[in-house]
Order: sequence, then C-alpha cells, then structure tokens
Amino acid sequence: MRALTTMAYRQLKRFIRARSRVVGMIINPLIWLVFFGLGWSKVFDNPIARSIFGGVDYLTFLAPGIFAMTIFNQSFIGGVSVIWDKQFGFLKEVLVAPASRKEGILGRILGDSLVTLTQGMIILLLTFLLAENLKPSGILPALGIGFLLAVAFSGFGVSLALRMESMEGFQMIMMVLMLPLIFLSGAMYPIDTMPSWMKALAYINPLTYAVDGTRHFLVGESVTKFALTTDVGVLALLAVFLVGIAMLEFEKATIG
Amino acid sequence: MYAIEVENLVKKYGDFEAVKGISFKVKKGEIFAFLGPNGAGKTTTVHVLTTLLKLTSGRAIVAGHDVVKEPMEVRKRIGIVFQDPSLDRELTAYENMYIHGRIYGLGGNELKNKIMQLLKFVELWEFKDKPVKYFSGGMQRRLEIARALLHEPEVLFLDEPTIGLDPQTRSHIWEYIKTMKEEHDMTIFLTTHYMDEAEQLADRIAIMDHGKIIAEGTADELKKIVGNDVIYLKLEALEDVKCLKAEFIRGCKILPDGRVRLEVVNAAEALPKIFDLAKEQNVKIIEVTYHRPTLNDVFLYLTGREIRDEGETNTLASRIRVRMRR
Ligand SMILES: Nc1ncnc2c1ncn2[C@@H]1O[C@H](COP(=O)(O)OP(=O)(O)O)[C@@H](O)[C@H]1O
Ligand SMILES: [Mg+2]
Repeated sequence: MRALTTMAYRQLKRFIRARSRVVGMIINPLIWLVFFGLGWSKVFDNPIARSIFGGVDYLTFLAPGIFAMTIFNQSFIGGVSVIWDKQFGFLKEVLVAPASRKEGILGRILGDSLVTLTQGMIILLLTFLLAENLKPSGILPALGIGFLLAVAFSGFGVSLALRMESMEGFQMIMMVLMLPLIFLSGAMYPIDTMPSWMKALAYINPLTYAVDGTRHFLVGESVTKFALTTDVGVLALLAVFLVGIAMLEFEKATIG
Repeated sequence: MYAIEVENLVKKYGDFEAVKGISFKVKKGEIFAFLGPNGAGKTTTVHVLTTLLKLTSGRAIVAGHDVVKEPMEVRKRIGIVFQDPSLDRELTAYENMYIHGRIYGLGGNELKNKIMQLLKFVELWEFKDKPVKYFSGGMQRRLEIARALLHEPEVLFLDEPTIGLDPQTRSHIWEYIKTMKEEHDMTIFLTTHYMDEAEQLADRIAIMDHGKIIAEGTADELKKIVGNDVIYLKLEALEDVKCLKAEFIRGCKILPDGRVRLEVVNAAEALPKIFDLAKEQNVKIIEVTYHRPTLNDVFLYLTGREIRDEGETNTLASRIRVRMRR
C-alpha cells in the first residue's frame, strides 16, 4: 500500500502546487459550454427541438457531455505528466525503487483521477449556473461515473505515454481522438438521430456510456439510452481493463 | 567479501555494443571509480548494476544478489545519484525527501529526523520548503545525494556526481562523499571523467574506454604503468655535483644545467629520505620540483588519446543528444 498512497500523494501535491494551471485546464470545456452550448440553446428554444433533446433545454442536454469532456481532457494531461517524468528524470527514481511498480502506477492513476475529478466538479458547478433543469441531487453519483471514466482514461494515458518519446506526439494523439469521441458520444445530439454507421461507432465509444450514465443522475430517464447498470458496467470493466494494462506495462518498463 | 562482482558483462543497444564484456570486483567499504571519457560505457554499466537496464550477457552480483534474478533484493540495498537530474522539480526539497523515504518503507518520526539530519548534512535545511526548480545545479546535486542516503544503502552509485559543477561545489561534494564513506562504511561506486575526482576519492580505479576496462588498480599502481615519479633537485654547489645513491632511487642523472634528476616510485615518500640523505652527505638543496605521471598520462599511454580530448563542450553536446533521444 505504501507505493500506492505515496504516488497518489505525490500527484495531489503536484496539483496543489500548480493550482494556477487549473484555470488553463477548464478553459476549453468552458468555451464549449458557453459559446457552443449557450449559443445553440437559444436556437433550440422551441417545443420541436426540445422533444428531440428528450424534453429538456439544450444546455441541460449538453451538460453531461461537457463534464465528460473535461474528464477526458484532464485524464490525458495525467499521461503527459508521465512523459514529463521521463524527460525530467523522476521516472528513473521510481523505477529504481524497491517498491511494487503495479501499486505505484495504480496510486498514480488514482491520484490523477482525483485531480481530474476536481476539475470535472468545478465545471459541473459552473454548468449549474447556466442550465435550468439539472438535478443537484445528481452531482455526487455523477462524480462517481466521472471517477470511473477518469480512472479508465488515466490508465490509457499512462500506457500510451510509456510508449511515447515526445510530448508533441502524445498531444497529437489526444487532439485527434478528442473531437470524434466527443461528437460520437451522444453528448451534443442524440445517438438515435445519427446515421447507422455513426451509431455503430457511438456504441463502441466509452464516452457514450459516461455521458449516458451522467444523464441518468443529472437530467433524468427521459434523455437516457441505456440502463444505468449497462453504463456503470461498461465503464467499470473498461477501467479495470485499461488500468490492468497500465500496471503490466509499467512492471516491464526500463529506461532508455 | 565483495559488494559488487561483475563477470563478462555485455550490454548491447540493438547492434551497438556499449559494454564489451567487462569483469571487476568491488570490495565492501571501498570507493571504486570508473574513469573514462564520454561514451565509454560508464552510465550503461551503472544502469545495468542498478537493475534499470537488462544486461545482454554476463553476470552481475550487487550487495549479494543477482541483478537479473533478484532485482528487488538489489534495489532494496542500493542508492543512486543519476548522471542526469532525477528530482521532482515541482515539489520542494523536503517533499522530494519525504516521498523517497515513504517509497523505501520509512515513515513517522524516524523519517522526519533522518530528513532533517541529511538536509543539514548537505546544507540545504534552510531551503527545505523551496520548490526544486528554483535550485542551482549544485543544490540539486546535493539534494540528490541526501536523497540517495535516506534509506541507508549498502552500495551507493554516483554517476558523474560533479559533472558540470563549479570547482568550489565540486570540492564540497567530495567532502560529503569522503565523510559518507568514513561514517557509514558504505561501498561507493563512482563514475567520472575527471581525473582529479577519481584520484581524490577512489581507493581503486578502473579506466574505461570504448566499453572495455583497459587498466585497473590504485592511482599509484596505474601511474606505474607509465613510469616512475621524477624529482628535480637544484643544489647549492653547481660544480662537482654527484648522484645521490640509495636503493629507493631508481635512476639518477645530472642535467646540463646542473640539476639532478631522480626517478623514484613515489616522490611523496622519497622526498623526506632524500633530504636526510642530502644532510648526511653535506649537500645543500636549494630547490625541489617533482613531476608525477597523471592519470591522463596513463590514459594517453594506453590509448594514444587524452581523456580531456572530449572536454566540457562535448559533455554538453552529449546531454543535448540525450534530451533529444527521449
Ligand atoms: N539508449 C541508448 N541507445 C543507444 N545507444 C546508447 C544509449 N545509451 C547510450 N548509448 C551509447 O552507448 C555508449 C556508452 O554510453 P554511456 O554508457 O552513456 O557512456 P558514458 O556514461 O561513459 O559517457 C555511447 O556510445 C552512447 O552513445
Ligand atoms: Mg555517463
């Protein structure tokens, strides 16, 4: 447990040190929320549009997507920090230590996920200021869904970062993945209205289940597509799988 | 009893053989140095011995355990200061120490006291709450040394501990290393491309070049490969100068300018005897100079090149290369 708690502690410490960067991190989802969400919400402010979006206003429909996007973004930043550790050499210090590497990397992923969740929470609270129909009682369980997503993508980010040499390459992969995953998650328009090939992609997109699960709690059954157990089950399995891979990868890691 | 035993160690990067079958042993409690120019394979060897790189063939036992078969047992017993920085720059000196201690299984007041003691030892206690990114190179190095000592390793690896530091900081760090050896009876494996560093610190030195150990021994033994120490005496009497004779004097010549040139094994030990001898024979010495072969002379003799051929500028270039490679 030592390696786990210590590495989690380190990630949290680093986050607290770099508080000022938090602003930078949440600016992107905030732009989407305000300029995209608020903008379209006026266009969609009529009964026909409302019926497409499950009977709620557009910002309420969009909010879970913005939350999931924030988590997704921030989880990859955790991966970037692995590359930093490679470049600034701290990774060697970890690799030479007589501690369980599996535990250490798990601690790191959990620590990063807590950090990620903090950012997600900030965005979520800001969303509440704009959207009308979100349920405050859904915040805590929504954070639970967010945590599963954060763990899954942190695990993925770590595995990817361990294989990458440069920050640029890593960031490019992240940029390339981000928009399609967001668009294909049902966050911005319902999956049911998509062409069937897009629908197929949406079904294999993990973000879909995070968005849907979050909607269960924040909006209501009327806008969801899957059963809550399906959403949670898919995310939990994915988290276990991706973290498992990260742990195995880190176990084998050498320098140079 | 040996702290490190290495037999026919080979390490290849792809097709390139960086370490070409080296063998050596380091005794417990000894400071052993790898001296060699850039690219000799020193860092590669250190990384193999500290379980960070897999060896290609051969065998290496560190602190009683095989680095391949029991890496965890080796890791428990070693400390290392890497050639390149390895601190968490965002965190403070104290936090870096604390995290290291926790990972190595320390905790509570014991850990707190040790951190205090070691940060005081390397004179960083007053900066303990400063993020490491604001530290100078020398301060970072000192912190790395303190950190490597925190879990009281049996064998300490120092990979170019004073590379790129100013002379004052270097001699400072040498003092720490000497104190460490004396107070903790620790085995220290050191690599360096500075001759003075190897000479100042090491009990025994292995000279490395192109992945091979080309000579090994104490500094004195190595210098004997090149030849004896040379002493020049200027005597008061310029005429009728005679050679001094004694069994420790290996050679004697009168130079055209009247000076006496003596060859001895060890000038430092021979000089007092020479003064005694001069007194006995009523010869008055008015000036003494002596020249000892340097380790650079040894390297030159063995390879035809100087260690310093590739001086500071190359060190910098190789660091930039390292950065780019990653
Ligand atoms: N990761 C690597 N991949 C390929 N070649 C390497 C790698 N690391 C070091 N080398 C090469 O191996 C040789 C020995 O390097 P190194 O062990 O760093 O030497 P030293 O520490 O004595 O300067 C050099 O020629 C270097 O370029
Ligand atoms: Mg080196």
